[in-house]
Amino acid sequence: MHHTAVLRSEWLKIRTLRSLPGALLALFAATTAFSAIAGVSGTSDPGFDPLFTALSGVIPGQIAAVAFGAMAVSSEFHQGALRLSLAAVPQRGRWFAAKAAAIAVPALVVGLVTALAALLVARAGLGTAADRLSTGEQVRGVVGCGVYLMLMALFAAGLAALLRSGVATLSLMVPFILVVSFVIGDATGTVADFLPDKAGQLVLHETYDGTLGPWSGLAVTALWTAGALLVGAWRLRRRDA
Amino acid sequence: MTSIDVQDLTKEFGGRRAVDHLTFRVLPGRVTGFLGPNGAGKSTTMRLVLGLDRPTAGSATLGGRPYATLREPLRHVGALLDAQAAHGSRTARDHLRVLAASNRIPDRRVDEVLEETGLASVARRRVRTYSLGMRQRLGIAAALLGDPEVVMLDEPSNGLDPEGIVWIRRVLRRLAAEGRTVLVSSHLMNETASFADHLVVLGRGRLLADTPMRDFIHARVRPRVRIRTTDPVALKCALARHGHDVVEHEDGHWTVHHARVDDIGRVTSGAGVPVLELAAEEGTLEQAYFDLTGTESEFTAPSQEA
Repeated sequence: MHHTAVLRSEWLKIRTLRSLPGALLALFAATTAFSAIAGVSGTSDPGFDPLFTALSGVIPGQIAAVAFGAMAVSSEFHQGALRLSLAAVPQRGRWFAAKAAAIAVPALVVGLVTALAALLVARAGLGTAADRLSTGEQVRGVVGCGVYLMLMALFAAGLAALLRSGVATLSLMVPFILVVSFVIGDATGTVADFLPDKAGQLVLHETYDGTLGPWSGLAVTALWTAGALLVGAWRLRRRDA
Repeated sequence: MTSIDVQDLTKEFGGRRAVDHLTFRVLPGRVTGFLGPNGAGKSTTMRLVLGLDRPTAGSATLGGRPYATLREPLRHVGALLDAQAAHGSRTARDHLRVLAASNRIPDRRVDEVLEETGLASVARRRVRTYSLGMRQRLGIAAALLGDPEVVMLDEPSNGLDPEGIVWIRRVLRRLAAEGRTVLVSSHLMNETASFADHLVVLGRGRLLADTPMRDFIHARVRPRVRIRTTDPVALKCALARHGHDVVEHEDGHWTVHHARVDDIGRVTSGAGVPVLELAAEEGTLEQAYFDLTGTESEFTAPSQEA
């Protein structure tokens, strides 16, 4: 069994299911649109963070990334689809790794393009308010944002494999993302800092305080994602298909 | 690698035994019909052979190797388990391309099987728009994709139109004639009788029979003779004298049980009974099957309670 053949098959699966490229398109459209709005309505209150304002479209936009990851996996749990897939590739670990890679790469690429576009449109709106951002901060924001979106897509993929359902995954993750962001999101220095989405979002900020920095925050999200993927893979390997 | 070997295979689902110490071999060059009532364990056995379910005990191998150890398994074994497995939003061609890619089967072969299964003209339509019969054909196309030596089909005639049923019969016969190992499950007796050479019969997860189809029928259904005459009295007398029992039917024909047409022909012509019709009534697979499951009453489905 050749890795590249399995990878090619999984990539083809994503390309040929209209809703999946659609989710990535929605990720780009929603993120840039919300960032553009944040750019023109950008305030100058004391806590104003130009980098996060520019990339804030990611907060609603990430739901599309989560949907992408969840649906890419949950399409396998529809009728006997998984049996067909595993009959073609009986090595379940290898199959799931290929699936994860086929989700990660397009999510990362679209995530990076989206972050760059969001930054540019938001800066056009922010004008001089964003001038204090250094090139390094902006590169960190864009790269971090792309990686963050990829990790969220993979987190959802792992969860979908565990729950064997896209609907269950989305109804767990979407309220979670919204609740964490809007209710306990502003409370820093608590355990909330270590939640998968909250930790990774540090990379979108120009300034940060608390125990985690931008990259260590992203590393925390990566750990959550790795955990979700491992648990998903474990369930997949153990269970009858 | 050629045969399917099932060795002492057992599978329990939460205490319920779906497959119970099953041992049989499916040999190449013939079509093996896999019979049994719903819930007898046919589909479970197929999933165990494909390594999709883990056996509680025993093993299922293909030419001595477990399925999971096959490199590019679609090139060795083709299976249809569930015609609904194809994602409705994909086109039939894309569905097959995805499967082909994982086993490095060229796209050319995808177009070949689409042609072979009569789907070429609708290959670029989404599977969602397909009828059950078309999905069944797509499932068969997927099974044939890797030109496999072993073909395993679960209820392939489900939803096929009369033309499709004749087609699948021809496909199965051809695959066996090409020397492949063909296992086809069904609960339709007459359908199975039209293509199978050999039978494996399950009841409640246990093996009830593993014999050539002809032997299976002949061992269980006694021959009968159908006869029609203008002189029933003479017929009855002549047959009674030779110890044959006749039963009259409403439409005026008679049935002689446990008799061969050669004997009855001699008796009637010797007695000068005018005969309008004389025919051997072959036992059917259905009769033989119900004879088997009737004697093994514990294997038949429990009667429905009101």
